[in-house]
Amino acid sequence: MTFARRAFIVVWKDLLVERRSKETFNALFFFALLLLFVFQFAVGPDRERLAGTLPGLLWLGFILTGLLGLGRTFVVERENDCWEALRLAPGDKSAIYVGKLAGNLLLMFVVEAILVVLFGIFFNLDLAGVLPALVVVIGLGTVAFAAVGTLFAAMTSQVRARELLFPVLLLPVQAPVLLATVKATEAVLLGEPLGSVAHWLKLLGAADVIFVVVGVLTFDFVLEG
Amino acid sequence: MVRIVGGVTLVALAAGLVMAFGVAPREVTQGNVQRIMYVHVPSVWVAYLAFAVVLVASIVYLARRVDGADRLAHASAEVGVLFTGLTIATGSIWGKPTWGTWWTWDARLTSVSILFVMYLGYLLLRGMIEDPDQGARYAAVLGIVAAFNIPLVHFSVYWWRTLHQPPSLMKPGPGTMPGVIVAALMVNFVAFSLLYVYFVAKRVNLLRREAEAAA
Amino acid sequence: MPDNWGFVLAAYGLAAVVLIAYWRRLVRRERATGAEHRPTVRRA
Repeated sequence: MTFARRAFIVVWKDLLVERRSKETFNALFFFALLLLFVFQFAVGPDRERLAGTLPGLLWLGFILTGLLGLGRTFVVERENDCWEALRLAPGDKSAIYVGKLAGNLLLMFVVEAILVVLFGIFFNLDLAGVLPALVVVIGLGTVAFAAVGTLFAAMTSQVRARELLFPVLLLPVQAPVLLATVKATEAVLLGEPLGSVAHWLKLLGAADVIFVVVGVLTFDFVLEG
Repeated sequence: MVRIVGGVTLVALAAGLVMAFGVAPREVTQGNVQRIMYVHVPSVWVAYLAFAVVLVASIVYLARRVDGADRLAHASAEVGVLFTGLTIATGSIWGKPTWGTWWTWDARLTSVSILFVMYLGYLLLRGMIEDPDQGARYAAVLGIVAAFNIPLVHFSVYWWRTLHQPPSLMKPGPGTMPGVIVAALMVNFVAFSLLYVYFVAKRVNLLRREAEAAA
Repeated sequence: MPDNWGFVLAAYGLAAVVLIAYWRRLVRRERATGAEHRPTVRRA
């Protein structure tokens, strides 16, 4: 069985489970909606202040939702004793990592798309022109987030206080990614061309490569025992 | 052996203090408060050294499963966190009279703070896993991820602070400073490095003894 | 600019306190594990 096929089976399995239960997606969607309210209340009615903090709030929304969604990546395996099955599966375990990563990316992209639309509606943004650039920034940032998140989710699923440890480990590592994405999003929302934030995009690209490679290389060690 | 290192360390630290207060001149713009640099900058250096050792030891552990490498990673991370905290504290104390504020999101303080919480998380992870083999493996993976994140932290924070922002008051780096100040800094670098070696050696011994006692 | 010796003292003092405290912790725990090899008392 090829690596790609094994990864694909993991994604397919997760998608099927999700399609039947819909629990993760529905809860995340509702959570994202609630975040919108919370942000509005926290920042206050002043339109200008809101406009200034918008890129940051958007990514806060992605991260908070992502923390909830990614943290659960391997919990479903633990609950159904599939963890042992994954461990004992023959061949390259990193195929499982890639599969889980792909599934997580899919989930995050859907949630992010919804959040962007909701933000556009509630905060009255004109997204039409900036959408392609926004998609690039969001894509690059999310890959970095999901790459580390999937790896850490596997690690913390084995630990007692996993809901606490997962964000505690993930957030500091994501700090540079967050700095980059917020700055880039800020520029994009102001209508500036992607070229003006090329350095941030290169940083995000580097982060993506580094984190995915490290994830692929070290996942075997996480899945052991 | 460790005792000898300890003794030499003590002498080096004393020499460092002499250099910092006796030999180094009073700085022109900041006054004597600039002498904090002789404890702040070597602390940062030791922190980075410690985390580099964590990276190497983590890779060695995953590749070869040598328990000694795991203990070295653990000890080095602990000492690294210690010196990172010290860097932040001394940096903050230095900042109050010179910048007028206890805290500022300048490039170095921000980067070092991110490092601090990353490796604090490393220690937290170790503390929360009971199975020693699993703890060693997971910590090694985290140690590798954290180390590769360091350059990303550097660039992102530096760009975050300097682009489209007026440059904050940068502390003088070794390149632009007179020879006496550089010399004093170097002596303290050596002293702090020796202190790092001493602490890590003792900590590794302790870990080995505790592992043997539990076996 | 005033000399702010208070701050210098604070910084060096803090460094000394922290480093000495850590050293003492190491020494104390070392003694504890050393002592365990004599009686066969298992620590929890």
